[in-house]
Amino acid sequence: MSSSPLMSLGIKAMAANYAGLQVTGHNIANANVQGYSRQTAELSTSQGQFTGAGFFGRGVDVTTVSRSHNEFLTREAASSRSLAAMDGARLQQLRRLENIFKPGEMGLGHATSEFMNAMVDLANQPADMATRQVAMARAGELASRFSEAGAAMDDVQAGVTAELRSAVSEVNGLARSIAEVNQRIAGLKGTGQTANDLLDERERLLSRLSSHVQVTRMEANDGTMSVFISGGQRLVLGTEAAQLRVLQDESDASRSSVGLVEGGVQRRLKEGTLGGGSIAGLLRFQNQDLVAARTLVGQLAASVGGAINEQHVRGLNLQAPYGLVPSSAMFAMGPPLAQGHLANTRDASGVLVGQVSLTITDPSALQASEYDLRETAIGSGSWVLTRLLDGQTKPVVSGDVVDGMQIDFSSAPPQPGDRFLLQPVTRAANGMSKLLDDPRDLAAASPLLASSLPGNVGTAQSSSLRVTAAPLPTPGATSRITFTSDAGDYTWELFDASSTLLASGSDTWQPNQAIPRPPTDINGFTMQLSGVPRTGDVINVEPTPAGALSGNNGNALALLALRDAALVNGRTLTDGWASAMADIGVRVQTGRASAEISDVVAGQAETARSGQSGVNLDEEAARLIQFQQSYQAAAKVLQVAQSLFDTLLDVAGR
Amino acid sequence: MRITSANAFETSLNNLQKRQQALTQAQEQLTSGKRVLKPSDDPAAAAQAERALARISRSEAQLRALDVSRNSMEMAESALGHAGEMMQQARELLVSAGNGSYNDSDRLAIAESIRGLRNDLLTVANRTDGTGRYLFGGQGASGMPLLDSPGGVAYAGSAGQSQAAAGEASPLTIDGRAAWLQAPDPSSPGSSLSIFDAMDRVVAELMTPGRSAAAVALTVADGLGDFDAGADNLAAWRARTGEALRRIDSIGERLSQTRLDAQTDRSEAEDLDMLQAISDFQNQQSGYDAALKTYSIVQQMSLLQYLK
Repeated sequence: MSSSPLMSLGIKAMAANYAGLQVTGHNIANANVQGYSRQTAELSTSQGQFTGAGFFGRGVDVTTVSRSHNEFLTREAASSRSLAAMDGARLQQLRRLENIFKPGEMGLGHATSEFMNAMVDLANQPADMATRQVAMARAGELASRFSEAGAAMDDVQAGVTAELRSAVSEVNGLARSIAEVNQRIAGLKGTGQTANDLLDERERLLSRLSSHVQVTRMEANDGTMSVFISGGQRLVLGTEAAQLRVLQDESDASRSSVGLVEGGVQRRLKEGTLGGGSIAGLLRFQNQDLVAARTLVGQLAASVGGAINEQHVRGLNLQAPYGLVPSSAMFAMGPPLAQGHLANTRDASGVLVGQVSLTITDPSALQASEYDLRETAIGSGSWVLTRLLDGQTKPVVSGDVVDGMQIDFSSAPPQPGDRFLLQPVTRAANGMSKLLDDPRDLAAASPLLASSLPGNVGTAQSSSLRVTAAPLPTPGATSRITFTSDAGDYTWELFDASSTLLASGSDTWQPNQAIPRPPTDINGFTMQLSGVPRTGDVINVEPTPAGALSGNNGNALALLALRDAALVNGRTLTDGWASAMADIGVRVQTGRASAEISDVVAGQAETARSGQSGVNLDEEAARLIQFQQSYQAAAKVLQVAQSLFDTLLDVAGR
Repeated sequence: MRITSANAFETSLNNLQKRQQALTQAQEQLTSGKRVLKPSDDPAAAAQAERALARISRSEAQLRALDVSRNSMEMAESALGHAGEMMQQARELLVSAGNGSYNDSDRLAIAESIRGLRNDLLTVANRTDGTGRYLFGGQGASGMPLLDSPGGVAYAGSAGQSQAAAGEASPLTIDGRAAWLQAPDPSSPGSSLSIFDAMDRVVAELMTPGRSAAAVALTVADGLGDFDAGADNLAAWRARTGEALRRIDSIGERLSQTRLDAQTDRSEAEDLDMLQAISDFQNQQSGYDAALKTYSIVQQMSLLQYLK
């Protein structure tokens, strides 16, 4: 038996242990590389040599370097990372949005109540220019808080679009890289060995891709990995990568959506099918949270501004000649919009054929919502309106009034298949401004004033007189209300300036009921009584004399009464603001909770994945010793083999 | 379960960061004294605080309005009191004019005195509250509400009373016509008389020379009746003004209470419970401290330490 098998055995053992040391060193070197999978040198026993005395082992062989990887845990980690990235991206935007809804003295709500409270001071000193100036400043403050909120939401929208762009360009880069890695992996497939580090590289790319968009993956026989997004749209197919693109929304050009371009064909991806990833989070924020915020603020702007304007024009300002210069609206708000869908029929010059126009008829009935208007079935000619806030639908014809807005589409009828996005309030806060400049423009005075005659026996007084029409149906006319019984029966008469009876009627006054009782209208006013009238008592409602105008505060009081009126869809403006703020607060709160949960889930999935694939330095240190000792033992074998050979030479040399 | 080094570092760092965030937030709350800084901190409480804030600023504005009303009514009350005294003086002068031993020149002197009082009364009737508002201007007057005109003193203000925006009836002015020009006429029930007309008539009659004693006596008797009716009317308005002042005080008390309640509501909704917050802070502090200590111990342990 020669000594050479021992020598080759020793050499093989040294090589095997050296390989072990090399792999261990590689593991240690890559311990902190994200997505690195621990590698192991797989050893196997060389088949023994048969002799008459049985099999003699021939040492050890290195079969391959394997990669510790669990497909299921890896997918799990990637998909939970997608969800965490989606929630995280949405939360980040929600936090920016929340800054617009500041509570307390810095907020929109406070600016609104400060404006209303300025009406208190105006009522105290209607003729005082300094007081008027303060009221004007408060009005300016209110308008600028709303327009700043609108502009801040535009900024948030711009931020969303910018983030979408950067996410999309990163996705495109990653998709290209994955396609390239696929190509290299496929090229090495023929060697029969797995390209561990390339596979890790691809996992890393996939994992980064997952944080932008949720993917499903499918491995082909040639080792390439195809990547699909949005329920089966292919992003990477083998060695080919498609491209994502940020597009304008089909209805509202200020919003963005994402499309997949493949072979020159552009396909728009639906937000709901994206599943996860920062792109889905950004789109969800844009299409749900930001729309809610815009419509809530817009509803407040349109309702409050509309109600103030309506009341303001009913009053009299201090411009000369007194009582003859009509009062103008106090605020301008962003107009209601009807946006035609991108696919709507256009004429040769690209202008939409069908046009819808919106007019706000009742600011207090406006809803914090957008609406979708389309045909019930294409070509049917009948139209259905869907309120996007709650999905409520309603058939409509041109001229209908829904939720405080009138919808007209008779002058330029929409074509079959046309769709419109109606935004009655979405942009109302944007560019809201104060229209009045001169403090004299403030209409603090009422065009009518009520007085109980001194000879009245009862205690009835007008506690509030509110003018409900501008201009008055019969300017210059005096209304006389005469009580004809102690039970509240009264007759009313309307006289013109020369005391000619124009109209008359009778009714019965009930506590808490206005005079006249709606829908009766005497001359564009509604009056509330305090005290109790007796038979023969007379209350006159007469035009405010020009001489009394500067000292009269009737319209300031009427403006002030808006504080308690149901201006915002059945709620007062304070309630409207408080609940808008709470709505956004709840969104941020739940957004935060889901981000926390999905973060924990993603962390656990990553821990589970890395528990399988990651490097433990203590373990590698132990292996280092293990392989080092084995290497030393193998070297010893070689030394023994050599000394055996020397012994033989010595013997033979004698 | 296998622990892997990079992930263990990562997880510990994440946890440390979370604890630090919680600590920072607790510190932010402690320094600001507020539990609710953003709507999302507690949406319901934020909405409640917002409503309370609106109530606070509203009651403050109403209290401001009430102060203006109180000021006006106090001045009106003193003007009416002053006017009542002058009416009393005029009455005494008129009584003395009935003295049978007085001759035309005596009556002339008395008439001059009554005319002086009448002019003083007109000044009182055109008093302002110091900011340009006429106390007797009704629902608005751009100039003096009671003007000497051909045919007697006329009213240039408007009817009724202006109200301040204090939420409840709180007058800013008095209807000058009702107070000065429409006193119930004692001689013909249902009709009214003007204080100034009555005085003008008495002055004119007393100044007419060569009237009989009977005619003078009639002037005095009629005049006294009219003066008394006027004085009674002013006294009635003074009483109403006093009543308004009493009501203003009680409205003020209610508004102050509302403001206090709203301040309490706001504080309850958004302010921090300091005891609770300090104890929470200390809890978080010791948690963070423990996490840092164990982190440094655990991360120092490595097999490589022992393999030397």
